[in-house]
Amino acid sequence: MSPPLAAILSLSQLMVESNAGTMFELVKELHDGAEELKRHTTNPISLNAGCELFIAFVTLFPHESDSFAELKTELVKQGQKYAKEAISYRNKIAELMLDFIKDDSVILTHSYSRVVMRALLHAHKTKRISVYVTEARPRGLGVKTHEVLTAVGIPCTVVLDSAVAYVMDKVDFVLVGSEAVVESGGLINAVGSNQMAIIAKAAHKPFYALAESYKFHRLFPLSQYDLPTHNPSILSFPSLPPRPFVTPPTTSGVSPPIAKSGIDESLNVTPTSSSERSMSAEMTAKNPDVDYTRPDLISLVFSDVGILTPEAISQYLVAMFAG
Amino acid sequence: MAPAPSLPIHPPNGPVNGDASKQPPQGRSSQKSMTKAERRELQEKQRAAKAAAKAGGPVNGAPSKQAAKPTPQATAAATPKRPTKSNEAPAPTASALRTQTAARARAASVSVPTPANARGLRIFSHFGLPKPVSVAKGDIHPTILRLALQFSEFKITGANARCIATLSAFKTVIQDYATPPNNTLSRHLMTYLSPQISHLVAARPMSVTMGNAIRQLKLEISGSDIDLPEQDAKDALCQKIDNYIRDRIIIADQVIEETAGNKIKDGDVILTYARSSVVQKVLLGAHAEGRQFSVIVVDSRPMLEGKRLLSVLASAGIQCTYILLPALGAIITEVTLVLVGAHSIHSNGAVYSRAGTALVAMMAKLHSVPVVVCCETYKYSETVQLDSFTKNELAPQGDLFSSFPSVKARDSLTLENDEHLEILNPLYDLTPPNCITAVVTEVGVIPPNSIGSIPVALGRLL
Repeated sequence: MSPPLAAILSLSQLMVESNAGTMFELVKELHDGAEELKRHTTNPISLNAGCELFIAFVTLFPHESDSFAELKTELVKQGQKYAKEAISYRNKIAELMLDFIKDDSVILTHSYSRVVMRALLHAHKTKRISVYVTEARPRGLGVKTHEVLTAVGIPCTVVLDSAVAYVMDKVDFVLVGSEAVVESGGLINAVGSNQMAIIAKAAHKPFYALAESYKFHRLFPLSQYDLPTHNPSILSFPSLPPRPFVTPPTTSGVSPPIAKSGIDESLNVTPTSSSERSMSAEMTAKNPDVDYTRPDLISLVFSDVGILTPEAISQYLVAMFAG
Repeated sequence: MAPAPSLPIHPPNGPVNGDASKQPPQGRSSQKSMTKAERRELQEKQRAAKAAAKAGGPVNGAPSKQAAKPTPQATAAATPKRPTKSNEAPAPTASALRTQTAARARAASVSVPTPANARGLRIFSHFGLPKPVSVAKGDIHPTILRLALQFSEFKITGANARCIATLSAFKTVIQDYATPPNNTLSRHLMTYLSPQISHLVAARPMSVTMGNAIRQLKLEISGSDIDLPEQDAKDALCQKIDNYIRDRIIIADQVIEETAGNKIKDGDVILTYARSSVVQKVLLGAHAEGRQFSVIVVDSRPMLEGKRLLSVLASAGIQCTYILLPALGAIITEVTLVLVGAHSIHSNGAVYSRAGTALVAMMAKLHSVPVVVCCETYKYSETVQLDSFTKNELAPQGDLFSSFPSVKARDSLTLENDEHLEILNPLYDLTPPNCITAVVTEVGVIPPNSIGSIPVALGRLL
């Protein structure tokens, strides 16, 4: 179950157990509940999307019932019905995607995404496809994708994150999932998606994003560093100990030994085999989890409400949330 | 050089040389006493005389505009004088007419207007050349007269300021209005207001904001209840005007101030261009909330509006830098956010704003700096605008804009039209939608390509 759906279900549960007497109190409790949920996760974006959607739904629900208790039960019922229906959204999206996958397509995807899996497995039933998937460091979820696809018989190869440009010319189109689709029509997804989109644009390959409608978010990031997940420690430079002054060597090739060891100690390089090294946990912490892909790099967004262009996302969000 | 014989540039303070309107023939005291046929005949006669005088010179098509008459060279004609609002040209005698024709011949022989020159003017001749504010036809309320004069002298500038001033003036006009007998307020008031509006437009072309506001006002007037007593109806209209200003401008600005302010982070270097009232509010608001940022104000001639913004921001304690537009390339790498205002936004997402904004936006885009346009929804125009020159406005010549004492003599700094030089100062330009990252309105932050959703969002609120 994806975070936004879980959020919706838990907020519905909150409503059942709440003893608010008026709409105002109820909405306030929901806001507090949402805040609590957000506090306990490092990446609150998609969770936020679900919470905001549910709260907006509750606020805009027509008040036809006479008593407040009736209204509450109605709302809870609607919330649970929505969560149940939402499970079927992935199938709807997979069906929409099917027409865009031709026989013998070579698809590039990123990391592991449940909705992309559903679409690929659905397509595999009637068409021949082969898939490249990126490793998606540091979590390495691309390997999980590889396991799942190979198990059903789809030819799949894992490519290095750095080899995306290398492989792009062999690919027919790029397919990614999403954490959230934002107001600008852009995409927030696992880090590496932006890179892939830029390379796809340069190679003139279509870039498709799959997103359920509860992932649409009113956020509007102006740049990568405007994301709520960005904090000053990401991509920050370490504060190194001051280099001791060493007279420059008269012969070339002799580097001052003191400074070098100082740098080594502060970096905590975990020695593995001599041919491969990996980043330390400290180094990984300085890297982002998600990135923002601009709308002009995205060809189409496939969603349960239809196949939308990035510009249409904003119009949908305005229609959903305004007034 | 004579300006292209068919297309002279008239500064709003009247043509540099002398005559404002047609020259009545001898024996007649004013144009108004002639019938249309006689005026046409006079014009043909003058045209023939001019063609004869310009023997051998390139002949440009005679204009259809009645008012655009070639001005004879300063050497021969009367000294430049600033015309008053009324028809001041004393009826020249036949001899004067002859000397002027001779002067034109002299002018023609002195310097033949080159085709390139004439062509250049032809391109921009549709800009609505600033016309002299002539005496108004019909009964113009003194508030409107004053406002028109303020507009034509650029004492009130900026889309919001002009709209608020116009609406306030109309409130006075409506209060002073008395419905004539056998008429209803809802029908007659509009016909009463029309010449007032035309007078304002003659002083300076109407802004999109004024247009939208007036359209809304007309809607309110036509919808006003017939059975209401007159004073009540007038009060209701004034109340509606107040509500419009409050809802679409003042409160909208507050919402924009908050929304755009949230985009400003500590340590930001914000660049703004010229002076937008909304951007000023955003920056002051964010500063009052305690955010730490610095501002670079980019300015350009002739209006140099940035100076006013600079003094306001600096006195509020914001760290500011002031540069002129040509220096933009040098500092753009330091900038983290560009905030600009708009005169109007169009349904294709293009932003029509002070000339120079497009340059700032394009430069920012090239350096991956986000460009945020702060714009109220009442500035939205249903039209599609693709370039800067199908619709624009020329700044008047002369020294209207300098508000600070300067060290050099003013005259040496002010460019004037002369023999081989024609000054062209468009006031607005168009920023294409792909250079804009986001548009902040009071209904939300909207990507430029989806500006069309504003009416949808508004429809829900209104």
